[in-house]
Amino acid sequence: MYREASAEMVGTVRKTRKRGRIKVQKRPRIGVFVCQCGSAISSLLNVEALTQYARTLPNVTYAENMNYPCSHQGQERIKAAVKAKKLERVVVAGCSPRLYEPTFQSCVSQANLNPWLFEMANIRELDTYCHQASPKETTEKAKDIVRMAVAKARVLEPLQPIELPVTKRVMVVGGGIAGINGALDLADMGFKVYVVEKTETIGGYMALLDKTFPTLDCSICIEGPKMVDVGRHPNIEIISFADILKVDGSVGNFRVRIRKNPRYVIAANCTGCGECKDACPIEYPNYADMYLGVRKAISVPYGQAVPLIYTINRDYCIECYKCVDACGAREAINFDQKPEEIELNVGAIVLSIGYDMYNPKDLEWTSYGKSLNVFTALEFERLILAAGPTAGKVVRASDGQKPHSIAFIQCVGSRDLSRYEYCSSFCCMYTLKHSVMLKEKYKDAVDVYVFFNDMRSNFKGYEEFYNRAQKSGVKFIRTKLENRRITEDPKTNNLTVNVETEDNEPVSVNVEMVVLANAAIPASTAPELAKILNVPLNKDGFFIECQPKIRPTDTDVPGIFLAGACQGLKDIPYSVAQGSAAAAQAASVLRKDSWLVEPLVAEVNADLCSGCKVCMSACSYNAIRMEKSGDKETARIVEGLCRGCGVCSSACPMDAIKMPNYSDRQITAQIGAVMQKEAET
Amino acid sequence: MPLRAMKRETGEALTLEWALHVNDYKLTHDRKYCVGCQICSLACPKEAIRVEKQPKITGQKAEKPKIDVDLAKCNFCGICDAICPYGAMRLTVDGKHALSVVEKESFPRLIRDIQVSPARLQGDARECEDACPLGLIKASWHTADGRFVENLSGLTEAEKQGVHVQVDVDVEHCPCCRECEFKCSEGLIQVGKFLSGKIDIHTEKCPEGCTDCLGVCPIKDALYLSNTDNKVHVNETFCVYCGACKLVCPVNDALELKRTSIRHTAIRSGAWNKALERLTSSVEVAKELKSKRSLKAAQSVKKRVGMKVTQNVP
Repeated sequence: MYREASAEMVGTVRKTRKRGRIKVQKRPRIGVFVCQCGSAISSLLNVEALTQYARTLPNVTYAENMNYPCSHQGQERIKAAVKAKKLERVVVAGCSPRLYEPTFQSCVSQANLNPWLFEMANIRELDTYCHQASPKETTEKAKDIVRMAVAKARVLEPLQPIELPVTKRVMVVGGGIAGINGALDLADMGFKVYVVEKTETIGGYMALLDKTFPTLDCSICIEGPKMVDVGRHPNIEIISFADILKVDGSVGNFRVRIRKNPRYVIAANCTGCGECKDACPIEYPNYADMYLGVRKAISVPYGQAVPLIYTINRDYCIECYKCVDACGAREAINFDQKPEEIELNVGAIVLSIGYDMYNPKDLEWTSYGKSLNVFTALEFERLILAAGPTAGKVVRASDGQKPHSIAFIQCVGSRDLSRYEYCSSFCCMYTLKHSVMLKEKYKDAVDVYVFFNDMRSNFKGYEEFYNRAQKSGVKFIRTKLENRRITEDPKTNNLTVNVETEDNEPVSVNVEMVVLANAAIPASTAPELAKILNVPLNKDGFFIECQPKIRPTDTDVPGIFLAGACQGLKDIPYSVAQGSAAAAQAASVLRKDSWLVEPLVAEVNADLCSGCKVCMSACSYNAIRMEKSGDKETARIVEGLCRGCGVCSSACPMDAIKMPNYSDRQITAQIGAVMQKEAET
Repeated sequence: MPLRAMKRETGEALTLEWALHVNDYKLTHDRKYCVGCQICSLACPKEAIRVEKQPKITGQKAEKPKIDVDLAKCNFCGICDAICPYGAMRLTVDGKHALSVVEKESFPRLIRDIQVSPARLQGDARECEDACPLGLIKASWHTADGRFVENLSGLTEAEKQGVHVQVDVDVEHCPCCRECEFKCSEGLIQVGKFLSGKIDIHTEKCPEGCTDCLGVCPIKDALYLSNTDNKVHVNETFCVYCGACKLVCPVNDALELKRTSIRHTAIRSGAWNKALERLTSSVEVAKELKSKRSLKAAQSVKKRVGMKVTQNVP
């Protein structure tokens, strides 16, 4: 476990670890507190018998059982007992240390006991939860667990937290709406913020949308000013068109290596006037228009781009240098620009890299990619957008005509066990948005069908929006997710949607255009970033938060926080909220001058280390470096990176690495305690 | 729809297409007009055009090389269309012939200097039609009252007096070889070449009986087989310096071809300089740039001083 040591736990902070051993008391006075946990423990084992047993264990001078030692009253009773009985070790037999160990550690430290002289015996998750049918055996097993905990408590050693200095700068990775809000919040708090963006402009997917649900506000009109704020904020530096190559260091002091890709335009000289674009003869398909429209070889993806710096796409440029002539005295164009590597030092990182859209070409039943008039939702978004390639006219690809009937198909790729099991979360709502927009724009001239399985409109104002769609005349058809098929009439390029209702009734509807609600998927850069930052991905490919309920923006790596869709798909208001939440989390690191971490970090005895580097290859966190020590090279643990897993300690052939709180002596004491029982029976 | 980039090939044409939702870019390579000369491939800024030499079968005529365009590399700029001497490439945007590189002066237009003066026609204009090795000349007759005349000999002498002849040249596909200028009535058609250069066949290096170059040359009289030594010789009057012959020549250095200049509309463009360098040589590019500079200097002096400066073109 790696977390910040709470302020109460801090006694005297040591800056460098002492190698010498603290003398261990031979006969410490141990107190055992057994939790009844409502009925979760007490109904499944004999708590009284367990307490009685604890009293018989060597060195246990006090034992009691109580309901909820984790409660305020419970903690007060433990503190009182520590003082009254002069306890030197505390064991709580209750739930998993993952939940309440920090609580009890701060409790004992309030009673002037070093927090690492506390030990937890898990008799709930490891015992009553798994043997619910046999109360007699659970009591016996609980005795074993308590005996082991007491055996370890006897040889526990006091430890002190480690202090790391904090750099008061922060990096936000990904400039979508979540990153924009995080960056603005942090910058307003006075921290220097670097927004690192992969593409040419910040804005993310929100900048490509026409309207937002459920208010039908113009998307770029809301986001544009925020983007401009980011661009103008004195505390924010946007590093766009850049890739993150490497991240070293740890909370408080990350060293980030970034490659700024060449735009062939000098950012400082480019005024964004666009005269180069007018002179350029070459056009190529624009990703921001979902390849429905084109942009010039020197251009910005859309007018509201921030930073407003033009980029030459050398894949298409013919090097006629007409842009150089057009740019004239501004001299902003430099065809010799090379990729530039820079290094940033930051104290915290906010990850907000967003998501990608699934290409449903490999879902045969959708006919996407084969039938001309089948679109994805984002393509439709660009069609209906007034600033889009068709100037807001919804027209078919086959003949350029306005369709008289449109079908929206939900759950394409998502909620599909063969593709993505999860729900993409915002498709129901944007489909409602599209259908309402169509009905309001074209009235009865267009029939709108929505083929859905479950309509998920479960946040503020969303159900009302669903009602609005129903009232506007959109036809909703509930279908099964299996056996759907879209077929094309080769002559007219019209489409037939064949589905089955929940009662297995086949339904066929002829339409002139189909829009697929294709799954949103993890960003393509997520796996690489996960590797660079050591933040794990879940089975779907989204970053794993520290605790899904109560720590949704933390990662397992201290100092790295999550915001927006990269943590799990979510719509704009929730991305915005999470951006601000992650900013607050990052600020809680940055506001400190130093960051204290639990001392559960491996220690190398340089005298024993032979410099064989076995530990380096065993470490999954890159936390071991080789360092000159006298006339030989020995291993050194980077304290900010070590997660205290102990793998190096067991890998070391020289027995030179020790894990505090999990020393050989402590573990053998626990093993000895179990073996003792075996010997008795 | 994902980007629909397509490539279709038939015996007559190779078609590349970007079918976007609002724009449709189409590049068509017409095999009928293509002579396999490599000029498009040299001019292509994306190196998307490949010239595939056809294997030579002993005893058979050499076949002209085949042009292939890489869809992944092609950016539909239309430079191949602008440079092809035979007009075999055609770029259309939404069905209309459009050369944005030429409009934006990123690439020049070739100057095909063809003057037709029908008044000077003597005798039958059919000889003009026959004179063109590529069949690009079409002559038609109309009576004074505008009637189309099928057959001249069916008219009376009186009627013939009023007949008006029209000679149409398919300029777009014309490489300006000047054969018509020499073979039609004097002064009827006057042609200025847009490609100039130097071609030499070192007959001593030619294999016995080899006529591969002659076989692929699209201009009837540019190459000929001499009766005296049974070797192929050049008549530079008609050669357009396209280089189709050089590509099929089986012997190294037997055929030497050097393009020295290309007549084109005045422009200033890096893309053109690079294409020119590949089509001619760096020396020629330097010459052209120098003349451009003196032209510019002359213009600026004229603007400031308001007097005419004699242009010094090398």
